[in-house]
Amino acid sequence: MAEKIKNEDEIIIRNYRTSDYEATLEILKELNEKYDIGLKEEQWRQSSGLRQFKPNLKRITLIGEVKATGEVVAMGMLEAVRNSLGKYIGYLDNWSTKKEYIGKHVGKILAERAIQILESWGCESIRINMGYNVDKKIINVIGKIGFKPVLIVLEKRFDTEEK
Amino acid sequence: MAENNNKSSEIKNPFEEMCEIYILFFDETRGHIPLLIYPSEKLIENRKFMRPIKYHPIWFLDVQEQGALDHIDLEYKKHTFMAKKFLTKSKRKKRRAGLEEETPETIVIILSLPTDLDIFGDDLIRNLTNEIRSNFEEKFTELIIAEIANEEIIKTPKIKKNIEKGKVIKTDLIKLIRNIGNNYFSKVIKQADASSIKKQKAISFLYLKGMDFSHISGEEALETFSSIKMFDPSKKSDPDLTLKTPFNITDITVIDDSQELEILVKKNNDKEYKDLRIIITHVKDFFEKELMNQVVDTWFKDEELLFISPIIPHINEYLFFIIEEKNKKKLLSKKIDLNFLK
Repeated sequence: MAEKIKNEDEIIIRNYRTSDYEATLEILKELNEKYDIGLKEEQWRQSSGLRQFKPNLKRITLIGEVKATGEVVAMGMLEAVRNSLGKYIGYLDNWSTKKEYIGKHVGKILAERAIQILESWGCESIRINMGYNVDKKIINVIGKIGFKPVLIVLEKRFDTEEK
Repeated sequence: MAENNNKSSEIKNPFEEMCEIYILFFDETRGHIPLLIYPSEKLIENRKFMRPIKYHPIWFLDVQEQGALDHIDLEYKKHTFMAKKFLTKSKRKKRRAGLEEETPETIVIILSLPTDLDIFGDDLIRNLTNEIRSNFEEKFTELIIAEIANEEIIKTPKIKKNIEKGKVIKTDLIKLIRNIGNNYFSKVIKQADASSIKKQKAISFLYLKGMDFSHISGEEALETFSSIKMFDPSKKSDPDLTLKTPFNITDITVIDDSQELEILVKKNNDKEYKDLRIIITHVKDFFEKELMNQVVDTWFKDEELLFISPIIPHINEYLFFIIEEKNKKKLLSKKIDLNFLK
């Protein structure tokens, strides 16, 4: 059983590297099982987590690695999207920690680093999309680092498999 | 065009065979007219060389449009024609309605190099343009007046005087170009940093042209031309013969669902780069249109980055550039042809 991360120095937060592919795929699969994030394995490629630049969009995948063992235990994608008013809005996506490290502060350390990065990119605000039936505990935990529920997103999914 | 009778231009310069330089202006009645062709004005009679000069895309671009690209290139029959355009002050009475004496003159400088050697072109055309502009900006009007005067059937004393003035300016211009060429090529070969590819290419080419470089390998080399070492057959070759450009494209993927192009770029050295401008353009009818223009504030050591650009329907050729913001140096420039990816 993983021990609680007591000190920020025990975990390294860094950019995704192509060598993290297998570990991140496992984490995403766990996330998909739990929250049905619509993961298609073939779409998560070795290069998917690299820093990306696209017109009006910047994206980074952050990795949480245990310093002592080098194990990848958490990941989170952050992106800055320029809206129609020319302002950047930050998003935290596919935020996940390995089961045995949940509640060990890894996610918190990762999120704080992500907030720093999005602030340095000039984002006006940061949003996290969550499932409608998300556990209130998670909202409370995230609320502690300044996030408040402000939007409800309605979604209609297309069944692309049948097409 | 006036024939250049200056004897000094006929003295053979060892680097003359490497490139040709054309300085042209836009004549409001006759179109694109050469003011000077270096090393030999006889090239004007060579259709192979003059065809790409007259139809070079530089003529169709505004001065502002060429800004991000530094220079505009055209490949034609194994030669690359690199061109830069600028405007200079004018005090010449124009021969077309709507144009005033102050309407600036449009000057184009074109550097032609064998395509295999176009690696030299970026710095050389930049040097040439900067030096010519700083030394001759005020004299272009007189040079153009002399060029137009040459076409007059009856040459009055005043016209003859203008032609003479033009000849003097042209002689100075040739001297300047020759100096820039000499300094540039000897410097390229002297450089002791990682530009070994440039050095090797330069030496190979000059050898091919039959030039004697024995002084480089001899003892007197220390005192002269270059610090470069000649090929030593007793040494084993470097097994890695790939070009050591700072960046290279490692993968290109066309995403059919989203009609996007994913370009994966790897950095080949340990250097950390700051403020790199990434430009993706496509070419249609000679014109380049930007699809992406983004600054990467820091490119970390050993980092691979992914650039995603939309694909324009029916356009298969895209250009990808990495440009260092501080000195506008092009670190990577690649043509991407989707036909080869399908």
